[in-house]
Amino acid sequence: MTPFQLKIVTPDGLIYDGMAEELIVRSTSGDIGVMAGHINCVVPLGMGQAMAIIDGTKKYAACIGGMLSVLDGKVTLVPTTFEWADQIDVSRAEKSESRARAVLDHKSSADTDIRLAEARLRRALIRQSVANRK
Amino acid sequence: MAGVSTKEIKNRIRSMESTKQITKAMEMVAASKLRHAQARVTNSRPYFEILYNTISDIVSANSEFSSPYLTKRPVKKSVYIVIAGDRGLAGGYNNNILKLAEAEFAGKEVSVLPIGKKAVDYFRSHKTPILSEQYLSAADMNVGDCFTLSKQLCNLFLNGEIDEIRIGYTNFVSVLSQTPSILQALPLTAHPVPKESKQSDILYEPGSDEVFKAIIPEYVGGILYGALCESRAAEQAARRTAMDSATQNANDMIAELSLKFNQARQAAITQEITEIIAGS
Repeated sequence: MTPFQLKIVTPDGLIYDGMAEELIVRSTSGDIGVMAGHINCVVPLGMGQAMAIIDGTKKYAACIGGMLSVLDGKVTLVPTTFEWADQIDVSRAEKSESRARAVLDHKSSADTDIRLAEARLRRALIRQSVANRK
Repeated sequence: MAGVSTKEIKNRIRSMESTKQITKAMEMVAASKLRHAQARVTNSRPYFEILYNTISDIVSANSEFSSPYLTKRPVKKSVYIVIAGDRGLAGGYNNNILKLAEAEFAGKEVSVLPIGKKAVDYFRSHKTPILSEQYLSAADMNVGDCFTLSKQLCNLFLNGEIDEIRIGYTNFVSVLSQTPSILQALPLTAHPVPKESKQSDILYEPGSDEVFKAIIPEYVGGILYGALCESRAAEQAARRTAMDSATQNANDMIAELSLKFNQARQAAITQEITEIIAGS
């Protein structure tokens, strides 16, 4: 497959800068795949699993928030958080999950707390499911 | 008489020495915090730059739609996010950014969103309308807080309650130089790049409006976080420099006082000898 240039940057630093053959990320309206020669596009990202094929090997990651832009053949992924499957802190995700569940089980929690907990729960579940794929 | 003054000088030297120990310790703490902050700045800079470049690319390539984020409207109410430190003793760090912000306010209807205890205190005592005092600690603020804050502000902006968002922060140029600056966050300032009238053919998925609605809060949160990182590094650098010069001043004063002390002691001995000789 023809490789294209891929750059992944998060607030914590440059995660990847190099060639890749394919990239699949979860956008706000479903999964979107990018291969070389893609049309220029801008897509906001949702929360979910991302997959990149680099040098013929599939790499999975948890990718949350941000955006994907393809301009003149250069693919730039600017997520809020991006963790390769082998870098995910599973115990932290598990703790975060149980904390979020505790808030959700509590009937009297405030609305904003529930929304925050739901988001936290989703992030934790995504991280765990991605970590299991490695 | 000489005895009293030597004792006085001795006391002053002793107090100066303990001050020196404090400033020295603060300098070392700042230096170690600076190392962490500096690493974070260098890590977050590519994000900051790529985010900024991507957004300006999109904005300048776009010709088919107008988003409320892009249109400049008459500025009635501005919001200034001002990032200062949580603690003093950092040379001119807090003062510089607060003065710059204050100068910017002139002739505008503003409300501020101070980040950091010093900023909160300053605007409270100056009776500037404050949007929220939630962010008392600049050091504890994380990426998540930046994004929540940015979402709130973007909503206010879309509802027309505010017409302009600017960020006052301190740019970490180097360990020795930090410059306070103001950054316009919203509305986006498009650089009209005359791209040989190339037809812009960017695909917005699911639609340009939705894309902008989703991306802009992310963008504002991102640059806010970048500004925060810069400010934090600048604060530590400013404190380190200030404490370094304080330690040096203490050393100079101790040297001067020691000289005085020795002179006084010598004078006392001479006087005593004179008295003994005169008596015999």
